[in-house]
Amino acid sequence: MLEVDCVRKDFGPVHAVSDVHFRIADATTFGLLGPNGAGKTTTMRMILGILVPDAGRILWNRSPIREDSRRHFGYLPEERGIYGKMKVREQITYFAKLHRLRDPSLSKRVGEWIERLGLSTYSDRPCSELSKGNQQKVQVACAAVHAPQLLVLDEPFAGLDPVNADVLLSLLNELRDGGTTLVLSSHQMWQLETLCSHFCIIADGANRAEGSLVELRAAWPTRVVRIAPSSQSVRSLLDAVPGARALLPLDGALDYQVPATTDFAGLLRSLVTVAPVTKFEALEPTLREIYLRAIGENGA
Amino acid sequence: MIQDVITVYVAEVARRIKSRPFIVSLLVGAFGIAFLIRSPALIRDSYTANRIVLMGNASLTARAQPMLSHDFRIAAVLPAQAVDGATLRSYRADAAIALASGARGLSVMVFARDPGTLDQSDVRSALLPLQLELTTHRSADVVKQITEMPIEVQAVGSKFSSARQSLAVRGIAYTLIFLLYLLIMLNSQLVMSSVAEEKTSRIAELLVSSVNPIALLSGKILASATLGLVQLTAWVTAAVVFGGGAGSSTAASSHGADVITLNGIFDIITPGVLGAFVVFFVIGFLQLSLLFASGASLINRTEDLGAIALPLVFPLVSALIIATMALGTPDTPLSVVGSFVPILAPFVMFARIAVSNVPVWQLALSLAINLGAVYVIALMAGKIYRVGMILYGRSPNVGQIWSVIRS
Repeated sequence: MLEVDCVRKDFGPVHAVSDVHFRIADATTFGLLGPNGAGKTTTMRMILGILVPDAGRILWNRSPIREDSRRHFGYLPEERGIYGKMKVREQITYFAKLHRLRDPSLSKRVGEWIERLGLSTYSDRPCSELSKGNQQKVQVACAAVHAPQLLVLDEPFAGLDPVNADVLLSLLNELRDGGTTLVLSSHQMWQLETLCSHFCIIADGANRAEGSLVELRAAWPTRVVRIAPSSQSVRSLLDAVPGARALLPLDGALDYQVPATTDFAGLLRSLVTVAPVTKFEALEPTLREIYLRAIGENGA
Repeated sequence: MIQDVITVYVAEVARRIKSRPFIVSLLVGAFGIAFLIRSPALIRDSYTANRIVLMGNASLTARAQPMLSHDFRIAAVLPAQAVDGATLRSYRADAAIALASGARGLSVMVFARDPGTLDQSDVRSALLPLQLELTTHRSADVVKQITEMPIEVQAVGSKFSSARQSLAVRGIAYTLIFLLYLLIMLNSQLVMSSVAEEKTSRIAELLVSSVNPIALLSGKILASATLGLVQLTAWVTAAVVFGGGAGSSTAASSHGADVITLNGIFDIITPGVLGAFVVFFVIGFLQLSLLFASGASLINRTEDLGAIALPLVFPLVSALIIATMALGTPDTPLSVVGSFVPILAPFVMFARIAVSNVPVWQLALSLAINLGAVYVIALMAGKIYRVGMILYGRSPNVGQIWSVIRS
């Protein structure tokens, strides 16, 4: 289990992280969300022991992060880097060695990763000759070749085409199923929504929301009801609901934002008495909406 | 930690030994040294500036021949005759020296293919005994007594037994100081480029998350030191191999009074001096490469490398100048103080060790100060490197660097 407990990190006058806290259970996927400059990368660097927090503590399996625990971590930084002149196999082998993998499992593991990521054709070519997407796959292999207990990925999907993004997505699921705890940051919300079981949204270096998607949705104060067909009598009825407000119509349907505490079954019963309703849907908020609200970008 | 250092070390050596700059410097250095050593022989063979034909009556040429043979190679001795270009070409000679005797003694006429290549004063001083014989009518033995005044040089408090040895050692030490400069400069800059490559290619963050930055830096510097010693070995081997052949030709030269053949280097340069060379290479390299590496960790673009290197090149060039001066005057206050100051000391102290008897306490103090400096520089550089490698964006100012060092 990873525990991040009220960590703070300043760089001179800049407060990069002021109060971030969350817990991540083993073999789960955790999404760390936030706008640019929110403190995600600094938090990740503190988790990995690259930076030392000025205050607060980070525990891995109830112990502070030490050199020996870092051996079992993997990291894919946002800023991608690669030894251009080094061959693909050499590069992955080098990082495997840095994580203390030794023969005979070393060569086998490197070969497996090359195969798994579809890099066999390029394994003896210098990395600089690879496309950006393939270079990124090499970097993923470098970060995960030692089957880390904790894998931190900063924007892992950036720059990948949909096919390679799917390859990475299934790979990350495999790693999680194999017992690896994953921490991801990404601005591609739909991928995080698919992949992560828990989230922490931070802004200005502090927590804004934390929990599973179900918990985050439960805390959301409103829902959107979508009703079709649209008619004056339906509108009048919805206008009478306390706290309701009309949203922009979509595809001929009528969207209304109503309080989350609304009795939706009762509302539906009332609607069918005044109009021939063919569609009634109570929409849960998306991760994107929760994120935007949490960072204060939707005016809510 | 040690295992990490070894992993980085092996990877760095494997990567760098195949790199173009290393191969180029290794080969250029080896061939350059070989060429420099062989060049006197090459130049002599292709351009016979000292090769002459001696002409005149047999009595004169027989007496002049041994006098001139010290400074010139005599291709042929001929009776007096007309000389043209074809004559000189047929003997592959650069000049013909025609001798005649008259009322005012010896008369010398030189026919040169290029008048600028033949030194008249050499001819004049070589033939001075013959001129004395002809003008004073004294015997050759008497003239020899007059002209060959015995001069005895005795060494007092010097490590050299003769002026010849002193000159030879200074020449060799001068070469070694340049070799030291090249080795330290080249290898420190290779460390700097390696760090800059990792920083600017953004691989640094991945590396420091995988391995302790100090282990990373240590592996890198040890790899570079090893490659430096490989270079040194290759260069010295080139010098010895090619020097063996050159030795015989330089020995044949009549200027050989001041020339020590390379075969004789090891009679003059003691194991102590060679040991000092290796020790001061290691100390100088560690000091400079750590500074270069920490500087390179702060840059974001390779174009900024020059700005980082420049402040470090100044003391290095100063060290070279002071060390060169110390070869002539090893005990002046500047030389003595310079042999204690970090960065200067590896060059200046080595120069003093090569040409004088440095007091043991000075050597011990210099080693203590400079090994201490390596430790302090390593601590500071380690801190800067650890932070610098993950620092992107605007480069830190001096105040920020200082706060990192103090942290």
